[in-house]
Amino acid sequence: MTISSVTEVMDDERSVKDGVDQETVDAVQKISSYKHGWETDIETEYAPKGLTPDIVRLISEKNEEPDWMTEWRLQAYERWLQMKEPDWAMVDYPDIDFQDQYYYARPKSMETKPKSLDEVDPKLLETYEKLGIPLKEQLILAGVEVDEEDIANRKVAVDAVFDSVSVGTTFQSELKKAGVIFCPISEAVRDHPELVRKYLGSVVPMSDNFYATLNSAVYSDGSFVYVPPNVRCPMELSTYFRINAENTGQFERTLIIADKGSYVSYLEGCTAPQRDTSQLHAAVVELIAEEDAEIKYSTVQNWYPGDEYGKGGIYNFVTKRADCRGDRAKVMWTQVETGSAVTWKYPSCVLRGDDSQGEFYSIAITNNYQQADTGTKMVHLGRNTKSRIVSKGISAGKAQNTYRGLVSMHPKAKNSRNYTQCDSLLIGDQCGAHTVPYIEVKNNSSRVEHEATTSKVDDDQLFYCRARGMDEEEAVALVVNGFCKEVLQELPMEFAMEAQQLVAISLEGSVG
Amino acid sequence: MLKIKNLKVELTAKGKSILKGVDLSVEAGSVHAIMGPNGSGKSTLSYVLSGREGYTVTDGSVTLDGTDLLDLEPEERAALGLFLAFQYPTEIPGVGNMTFLRTALNAQRKARGEPEMSSGEFLKEVREKSRTLQIDSEMLKRSVNVGFSGGEKKRNEILQMIMLEPKLCVLDETDSGLDVDAMKLVAKGVNELRHSGRGFLVITHYQRLLDHIQPDVVHIMVNGRIVKSGTAELALEVEKNGYADMMVELAE
Amino acid sequence: MISDERQRAVMEHRLSGLKRPESGWSAPVRSEALAHIQRVGLPSRRDEYWKFTRPDTLVQASAPKAALFDNDESPVFGEVDRLKVVFVDGVFDLELSDELALEGIVIDRLAAVGDQGSHWAESVYGKLEQRGQDPVVRPLAALNTAFATDGILIDVQQTPSKPISLIYVHANETSDAILHHVIRVNEGAAVTILETGPAAARFNKCMEIELADDSELHHVRAQGRDHERRAATHMFALLGARSQFKSFTLTVNGRLTRNEIYTELSGENSSAHIAGACVGDGEFHHDDTVFVTHDAENCDSRQVFKKVLRNGATGVFQGKILVKPGAQKTDGYQISQSLLLDDDSQFLAKPELEIYADDVACSHGSTSGAINEEALFYLRARGIERAEATDLLTLAFLREAVEEIESETLADEIVSRLMAWLLRHRPE
Repeated sequence: MTISSVTEVMDDERSVKDGVDQETVDAVQKISSYKHGWETDIETEYAPKGLTPDIVRLISEKNEEPDWMTEWRLQAYERWLQMKEPDWAMVDYPDIDFQDQYYYARPKSMETKPKSLDEVDPKLLETYEKLGIPLKEQLILAGVEVDEEDIANRKVAVDAVFDSVSVGTTFQSELKKAGVIFCPISEAVRDHPELVRKYLGSVVPMSDNFYATLNSAVYSDGSFVYVPPNVRCPMELSTYFRINAENTGQFERTLIIADKGSYVSYLEGCTAPQRDTSQLHAAVVELIAEEDAEIKYSTVQNWYPGDEYGKGGIYNFVTKRADCRGDRAKVMWTQVETGSAVTWKYPSCVLRGDDSQGEFYSIAITNNYQQADTGTKMVHLGRNTKSRIVSKGISAGKAQNTYRGLVSMHPKAKNSRNYTQCDSLLIGDQCGAHTVPYIEVKNNSSRVEHEATTSKVDDDQLFYCRARGMDEEEAVALVVNGFCKEVLQELPMEFAMEAQQLVAISLEGSVG
Repeated sequence: MLKIKNLKVELTAKGKSILKGVDLSVEAGSVHAIMGPNGSGKSTLSYVLSGREGYTVTDGSVTLDGTDLLDLEPEERAALGLFLAFQYPTEIPGVGNMTFLRTALNAQRKARGEPEMSSGEFLKEVREKSRTLQIDSEMLKRSVNVGFSGGEKKRNEILQMIMLEPKLCVLDETDSGLDVDAMKLVAKGVNELRHSGRGFLVITHYQRLLDHIQPDVVHIMVNGRIVKSGTAELALEVEKNGYADMMVELAE
Repeated sequence: MISDERQRAVMEHRLSGLKRPESGWSAPVRSEALAHIQRVGLPSRRDEYWKFTRPDTLVQASAPKAALFDNDESPVFGEVDRLKVVFVDGVFDLELSDELALEGIVIDRLAAVGDQGSHWAESVYGKLEQRGQDPVVRPLAALNTAFATDGILIDVQQTPSKPISLIYVHANETSDAILHHVIRVNEGAAVTILETGPAAARFNKCMEIELADDSELHHVRAQGRDHERRAATHMFALLGARSQFKSFTLTVNGRLTRNEIYTELSGENSSAHIAGACVGDGEFHHDDTVFVTHDAENCDSRQVFKKVLRNGATGVFQGKILVKPGAQKTDGYQISQSLLLDDDSQFLAKPELEIYADDVACSHGSTSGAINEEALFYLRARGIERAEATDLLTLAFLREAVEEIESETLADEIVSRLMAWLLRHRPE
């Protein structure tokens, strides 16, 4: 169906618009549903509440870390005490009491680490099964229909992180054969200290910002990936983050290194139970792409967004940055942000190598009282570097959605290019959509182009869909999916379908 | 009038050799056509003649009435009487078509030590000459090539050619993207300019333009060299048999 | 807010040399403005709003020296029939000015009427500036309200027969001028305000404009070629229903220029078009900071800013479209573009949208780059030499901004000044 031809069809658009608008307003009142809001009933052990040097040491001890790691954490903790929470983002939330949280929570059954997936507590396995992420090696992610033959080529290795620990990682031995290391970062600290010491904190320095510093002190687990030179990672890698415990923050750390000439595609998903109190999630992700290497990093963020009155939900304060360290390195960030009560996140690229490339594709959907302040930074340092930013923000209910970005062309980044397109869609008259780009051009052979638009969902398109038999919500989902298409098509197939459904679900009851 | 001797050219950025020794002479009063398959170097030749950046001449010479062209800036070549009708005329938002044409005309006159054309005289001339090409005053008012259809752009190129009265006209794929009516208009414009003191180099992929602009000599360019020259018959032969035959023939 | 002792010291040092009237109709609002500055301090480099422009020389106690500039050009708008109001280094010049009388308008000088007990301007003076202090503080404007020494107060009752032309002359190397103008345009009236000249070594100027329903104000400004002058200017415009506000500024040279425009579209169907063209060569820092607030339905706004920079010049654009809840059917457009003619120049921009109404069509675009080589070659292939071709393309680039001027005569004059500048500044 071609939606674009709709204007030619409509004669009496004025009356139609009015009709749709009224229903829109009514529909906004309805409640959206969050399908991952259930809780796993499991015995959990916690570290004592609050944050002290002892807690930092305890986390380090639980992970059986070497001294250098403990010291690094303690140093971060000291720095963090000196720092102030940033207040420049267009988000508003009550003060967080950092002493009224748990910084470490682990299912009791994980006390002795399972040797294989077979030994993992069935309740945990069930949890992931229910989330559509079976921790079995013979299956691909649920909900994806592919040809029999194709299945072998569409394997996805999963690292499952539950509260503060990784419960299991699939396909590890098969990856090992290819020379790829994919394991929980706690394991990498013990088993590959030379790699971790070389790269950890080299993209996001220990005291980069308030939340990253907090993460450096208390991160408990996360994923580690190393792809050796000239290896094309034989399957998609993914990490699935689940917060289950109450009053607990999740602080994961991801480190991905693509050595010279290698390629890896990594997916990340996240969900949490429905609770009345907000929970903190402060992650750090560092990507390193050496010469001729390529990293594709995709996120479908579906943390619990809070209820229709703005109660509960995850505070998602995340620092993600990639360093295109070598010439011709390439990093591509794709994100679908539908969850969280508050999102503060700017996946960035430092384009250090000559001819390196950074891309950022983003869909951010906010509904009810959600707030998102997200975007990217493209810092061009090398010659002939290229970046592309495509951001689609959708705001409904009483939500606020901000694109914030930086494109910086340094004097030495000759002949570089940036193209930025930021589009915002407003659904209903109680929400907000904002664009705050920073552009700094310090040489004249580089070209920077930025375009942004803000508008409402096209009533003509909605009416056209409805005239063909769709109900209002289907019509909105379809039109919004169309609006997001440029970004959706950049997602790996495994995620594209889930993302499309998410777009529809996130907007449930917000129609307009 | 135009003498090209053993011209060898490569792409500056990639060092890739494009023209591998082209020899060609266009005499005053004659129309030469260059035909050839895609990628044979036809358009490169037109760009090198007009002085576009990005090409390095590694050997050979090009002279126009005895003056070495290769050391000259594009505008100096234009003032000497070289005109390139672009395959893809550039759009220049904000610069009015008339302003552009008058600035160009007077710049060339100045360079040749001739008096500038007054605005009244210029207006009269443009109106008259644009009529033959069916270019209306609205099109003259717009920015250079902005919002022009493919055919309008090519007619605009020919209008410039008529106004600037060059000695040597290079038409680069002027027929591409034209329907038959537009092509006839363009050909009419060119034919009216044919003159004992003027030479033409018509670059084209297809023979059909040559039905309307009868060439005196036809050259076939393949892989950076002129491999065959002949009369207008040669073009018909290409039209019938394609370039493949010729390339096979050459290989033998 | 004042964040440290150093900032407080800078402010106190600046304020120490300034005097304000203690009585008369303007005294209360001047006191309020002073209290505001004492609360928020003067701009400092750490302020987000001054991220791209260093305010140091604008807030230091005395004006940095600016050598006098011998301008051999004919006066800008010299051929236009206009009512001339001349200030030399911020001081009204009776000799050079016309008689301050024109049918349809009432015109007073702030210095002449400031000690009266009441005046019509009381309802505007400092009041629009106050509205413009939120959500971003503009301490230099408050400083102006508190300490302005003079300015003109124009009440436009009916459309006057000719433009009112404010001419600023810079005659002293260390002059530090603070002028505050108020213009009220009554229902159905229209007025054109021209501003020309460099004014002083350092110039702080504020203009408040109140547009009643169905009124119009056209503002065309040429900031003068003085190389070393510094200026911080503010315009505050409040638009009634169906009113039109059009402002264009040409800036050539000047060491430092910060032009802030704060426009509130508070009446339905009103329209604000704000444009600027700047050409800078060498030590030149130019900052356009524009804030457009849509607070009524069916309004349109345009911001068109073009900058041509060479030899280490810096261009800054901070522009915002704020659409308040309920301001439906807003049409907001903003474009900021820079043409960098060499590698030493830079363009820094922050084009923002902040939107709280859904039935809107808002867009912004920003580009930066070198001259279009394709177009340059095309022109040269037609015989136009490089320097002239560059000028043609530069002028074409600037044209979109100049076209925002409604009067053809005034636009032509701006174009000819730009052409003259380009000719003078052709690279060797």
